[in-house]
Amino acid sequence: MQQLSQRMSHGESLSLMQKRYLALAAPALKTFTLQQQKQQQQPHRWTATSTISSRQQQQVTTPPPRHDWNRAVSEAERIVGYPTSFLSLRWLLSDEIANVALHLRKLVGSAHPLMKTAKHLLYNGKNTMQAWGLIVLLVSKAAGHAASIPDVEQDKSAGVLHSQRALAEVTEMIRISHLVHNSVVNLQASTEAGQDVATYDDMSFGNKIGLLTGDYLLGHSSAELANLRNQEVVELISSAVRDFSESEFIGERDEQNNPLPYKPGTFQRPSLNVGVDFNEHDVMTPMPIAQVLGNPEQEWECRNILNAGSLLGKSCQASLKLAGQSEELQRHAYRFGKHLAMAWQACLDAEPFQCSTLPLDATFSLVSAPVLFHLEHDPSLYAQLEKGKQSVENIDYDQIHKAILAGPALAKTKELQRKHTAAALAVLQHFPATDARQALENIILAMQDL
Amino acid sequence: MACLTTSGRLACGSRRQQTHKFLCQLFAVRCQSLSTSTSVSSSSSLASSAYPLQRQRQQQQQQQLRRGFHGLSFSIGQDYLDLLQNPHSCSHHLKYSQCSKTNLRQHSSVHTQQPAGPVREIQIDPYIILDDELKYFYDDVRDLLQSGTSQPELDTIASYYFDGQGKALRPMVTMLMAKAINYHLNNESHQLVHKQRQIALFSEMVHSASLVHDDVIDQSDFRRGKPSVNALWNHKKVTMAGDYILSIASIMIARLRSDDVTIVLSKILTDLVQGEFMQLGSRETENERFAHYLTKTYRKTASLIANALKATAVIAQADDNVAELAFQYGRNIGLAFQLVDDMLDFVSSTEQMGKPTAADLKLGLATAPVLFACEKYPELNPMVMRRFSEPGDVERAFELVHKSHGLEQTRFLAKKHCNEAIRLAQELTESPYQKGLQVVADLVINRMK
Repeated sequence: MQQLSQRMSHGESLSLMQKRYLALAAPALKTFTLQQQKQQQQPHRWTATSTISSRQQQQVTTPPPRHDWNRAVSEAERIVGYPTSFLSLRWLLSDEIANVALHLRKLVGSAHPLMKTAKHLLYNGKNTMQAWGLIVLLVSKAAGHAASIPDVEQDKSAGVLHSQRALAEVTEMIRISHLVHNSVVNLQASTEAGQDVATYDDMSFGNKIGLLTGDYLLGHSSAELANLRNQEVVELISSAVRDFSESEFIGERDEQNNPLPYKPGTFQRPSLNVGVDFNEHDVMTPMPIAQVLGNPEQEWECRNILNAGSLLGKSCQASLKLAGQSEELQRHAYRFGKHLAMAWQACLDAEPFQCSTLPLDATFSLVSAPVLFHLEHDPSLYAQLEKGKQSVENIDYDQIHKAILAGPALAKTKELQRKHTAAALAVLQHFPATDARQALENIILAMQDL
Repeated sequence: MACLTTSGRLACGSRRQQTHKFLCQLFAVRCQSLSTSTSVSSSSSLASSAYPLQRQRQQQQQQQLRRGFHGLSFSIGQDYLDLLQNPHSCSHHLKYSQCSKTNLRQHSSVHTQQPAGPVREIQIDPYIILDDELKYFYDDVRDLLQSGTSQPELDTIASYYFDGQGKALRPMVTMLMAKAINYHLNNESHQLVHKQRQIALFSEMVHSASLVHDDVIDQSDFRRGKPSVNALWNHKKVTMAGDYILSIASIMIARLRSDDVTIVLSKILTDLVQGEFMQLGSRETENERFAHYLTKTYRKTASLIANALKATAVIAQADDNVAELAFQYGRNIGLAFQLVDDMLDFVSSTEQMGKPTAADLKLGLATAPVLFACEKYPELNPMVMRRFSEPGDVERAFELVHKSHGLEQTRFLAKKHCNEAIRLAQELTESPYQKGLQVVADLVINRMK
């Protein structure tokens, strides 16, 4: 009886999402309640961790010896009460997604890139940064919220607001919708894919499912955003969607819209040495990318801000908006998200060059940092890249891999990663020292060791 | 039949005549009561053309006054119509209408006669009374889209369908309702109208974004008489351009700083996608099929109009009753619009619709005319179930629909929704815009394209 009433009172603090989860997933209910009870066994957990964090504060100067990525992430998840699986579970509960899963079966065995994207999303290995929602929540918790926020808005157990949790979900939905929309295959009649009669139907069907799934996620994000009742946040996050779509138009593209670098010498090296960023006062203004084309580092930054940094940065910023934090702290949050995304991207870009020979069938982006840096060092590489104008698959990746390893590009990429890592860590110092901030630092440090 | 307006733009379609004939037959009884001719003065923006009214089979001609609005057109009190354009329009029109010039001369005479009878007297042309709001409508959308990106190609794709060739039905109805409500509430501030116009922009932008994505899904080569976006550009870029239009529209709405408006309008997006998923087709039973069809139609078409209209009421701070009235008016208009659209898919020509005839059947979709026809010809049921996938299915279904009363029944249902919309509009305070809302119901039921 006592247990029941305990459960009831706990139920009141469940987020809407969890309620829906409870209502729909009766079989999962049992395990779920078990989890809840387990959490209740540690009623003073948060006070406990806060003492830990003050202890950690003293240790900040001496970081733990080894940075294990998985450990850093799972500890961070615990801090914000955010199991990674919850998003995928919720997905399976909606009619539309159940429908998609059914249709996806027909695509199994086909070469549609949607399958690859789906696999990539489901088997979330250590090398995919699924944890964007997690980052948003950690930043939210690290910043705390204004005293004016009413109690009902707060998820006391995790130290973040319900609205921030919803925003974190929106962030992931938007990111996944972009990935899914990006797996649409160009079936124009003039392309190779469009002429392959054998696979045309599969491809066309895959496009349909991919398009609708992405639209479903976008539609639901916009509904969830609207329910946050904060129009500045809606504006900001919508602009991140805009940035995503803009990112797919920059520079030359092959038939399947894979990016190719500009021909060296197309642009005069711009004189400005500072990077460009969005206009802080008007979200409608697009990234002034034309100013930096020709400068490999800044061009890379711009491409990847549009492609990744914008959403993570703007989500962190929006989350602090929801918490009623100052404009200044909001800007710090944006910068943190942006630099973290950049550091992560640099790390991903460097990865194919970590071993002396390229693994079989492995490829890399032709606008990744090592390629752009190498082109600056040796413009003659462009002759090789030009072969990819119809399809990037026509390129001899092994040869380029070898050339890049022989040059200074990899070192420059590592330097780039360090630069953004340092910038992210520096911005973090504007946040009070908490377990959440420590978790963010751990994630960044673990990323460096990957 | 082609007609030339004084603005120099023309609209035509040689096979439209056949369609007229078909509709004439449908409503022969009604038409016959309207036999006396009356003279009506012709204004410069109007033209009329000849159609058989009585004794259609002998092809005897009688004249009818027709008025056209932006590609939507109707004839007063009649159930058939012709397409004309009104004079305020963008220059873009001309280049797309070159192909039809040949028909121009033979039909350019302006006829001014019209049969008398129980004709509803209509002096209101919604497009003319909304001239201020609609004149630079597409220019404003294009400016907005251009201001949000530094990538010219993205701008080009995103703006492609905002060429002024569309009917602009959604913005027109939205603005009519907005102004009718403002009049009703006695609040006609310029600022408010401006905000409501943003909602109208949103409705058209979301509609276009969905067209852009539909083009990638359906792989059709033409829309509105020109190559569709997927025929011209990389499908990946086209997909992104759709997302782009949506994001710009959302930013615009967020800037109205009204939580409730954003919530109402976001419902449109979820409905649209759910409608698309419904269209993917779970195989419902015969009994559920019609309900499924209507729900799908609401989500895919009516929700956009209904919620946009509701949003104009919400931003005007109208009470819940007025907001619900706006919503229901929009829902009925939207359903009627789609029902007529589904009917026209069987009777219109490719030229007229800008897309191939029986397109829905070819896509495997069973729309209202087919579902009605199933009652008379049960052999259609298995075809519906297999989505007209076997050779000959499409042709056979097409034939059976024409043999049955499916088209009349569809039209009847559409008419019912239009009457309900008119009834709702009459609850608002009388004003030119409130009258306009009733005219729109006529436009929708009588449209040819």
